Amino acid sequence: MKPKLYKSVIEDVINEVRELFLDEGVDEQVLLELKTLWENKLMQSKAVEGFHTEEQAALQAAQQQQQQQQQQQQVQQVQQVTQPAQTQQQQVIVQDPKILQHMSATGMVSECTYRITSWSPLLLCLSGQILQVVRAPNGAQYIIQQPQQQILLQQQMQPGGVQAPVIQQVLAPLQGGLPQQTGVIIQPQQIVLTPGNKVQGNTQVSAATAAQVQQAQGAAAPQAAVQPQAQQQPQPQAQPQPQPQQPPMMLQVDGPGDTSSEEDEDEEEEYDEDEEEEKDKDGGEDGQVEEEPLNSGDDVSDEEDQELFDTENVVVCQYDKIHRSKNKWKFHLKDGIMNLNGRDYVFSKAIGDAEW
Amino acid sequence: MAYQLYRNTTLGNSLQESLDELIQTQQITPQLALQVLLQFDKAINTALANRVRNRVNFKGSLNTYRFCDNVWTFVLNDVEFREVTDLVKVDKVKIVACDGKSEGDAAGLGSTGTPSSGVAVERRVFRPASH
Repeated sequence: MKPKLYKSVIEDVINEVRELFLDEGVDEQVLLELKTLWENKLMQSKAVEGFHTEEQAALQAAQQQQQQQQQQQQVQQVQQVTQPAQTQQQQVIVQDPKILQHMSATGMVSECTYRITSWSPLLLCLSGQILQVVRAPNGAQYIIQQPQQQILLQQQMQPGGVQAPVIQQVLAPLQGGLPQQTGVIIQPQQIVLTPGNKVQGNTQVSAATAAQVQQAQGAAAPQAAVQPQAQQQPQPQAQPQPQPQQPPMMLQVDGPGDTSSEEDEDEEEEYDEDEEEEKDKDGGEDGQVEEEPLNSGDDVSDEEDQELFDTENVVVCQYDKIHRSKNKWKFHLKDGIMNLNGRDYVFSKAIGDAEW
Repeated sequence: MAYQLYRNTTLGNSLQESLDELIQTQQITPQLALQVLLQFDKAINTALANRVRNRVNFKGSLNTYRFCDNVWTFVLNDVEFREVTDLVKVDKVKIVACDGKSEGDAAGLGSTGTPSSGVAVERRVFRPASH
């Protein structure tokens, strides 16, 4: 019902102002542009369902294509992962297939961010060591390497979901700069570890991870290119010594800040103590969706339990009669547009009761 | 003149944003944009009055109420909106209601443009030329 109503309103307005536009000497093209902009914004707001069914269908088709591509990439990664399983590779880099896909496709970080947030908390590296992803107070996830535990390698691959990280042994740093964007959730999708090193050398970690991240980010090179490079490098780097460039260190896998940002260093060190305190501050720093649940305990205001919408629910209408008896109020309203939980509703009449 | 009340809705806001973009690129003048908004006010008022025919009931607790310049503003908590078909629950809702009995002179708000609170009528004063 609503889409039709809105569409008819749009049509009416556009037609009425056509004359105005012509009077002002404005081209019809501009009028059409106004209409397009208007309709697009309405669609984006998702307040109205099924506004433009054709466009939605096109969008869905596009999304399906993307998913298929991602699935293909996942398959590739699985195959490549199994190879080095034999050797005692101690350096593991985890790549998010989606990231790489986007890197190769768009070179943008922003598209990757929101997908990155759903990393599985536990990663198992190829060498059989358990890596535990720990969330630092600033939301950054650090890989802690558990010493010498022989465990079967598990991979969490979700078909089409592309949410679990794929463990690969890629040792060669990827090329590319680090496209910085404010509010970007996660930069690096790569974790590099070497055996015997724990997350102690924080400075090294951050510095190295920064280097790695920068190299990993914006990697225009497709994953295939990365793979051969990786395999060549493992040997020289099998040494346990942390080298200036190669970090036997933890990369910040996920989290609000970049590994390239300096703040990570400090936060990493103190995360044990300041976990509680920093949560709040760090949550406010970035606009990450992932961090909100962590900080929700600190919120003073109530959040909606059912839906997680930010919208202030508003009803704009006209009143026929407002009545009050002691503290009992009665509302007789008409011709209203409501925005509740992000969605639009309309009514010709509304009757309500409330107690004050 | 019709109420400018409905400018702060999804429909109205998206129109205003689109107009702003066109102004930015200097494809239209602000004056023209204003005319479009006025036209929108008329169209939406008419559409609501004529094309919508459904009833909604709601129930909740009243947190605050305000009546100023013939505009009621309520904030309700824990409200249930019930239509024949479905039920919507919200923790907090703000209701802004203009006088439905008479068509208010909303021209006075031409200067303010987008009243965020939705107040469409400032005064019931006759103005020589409605903007």
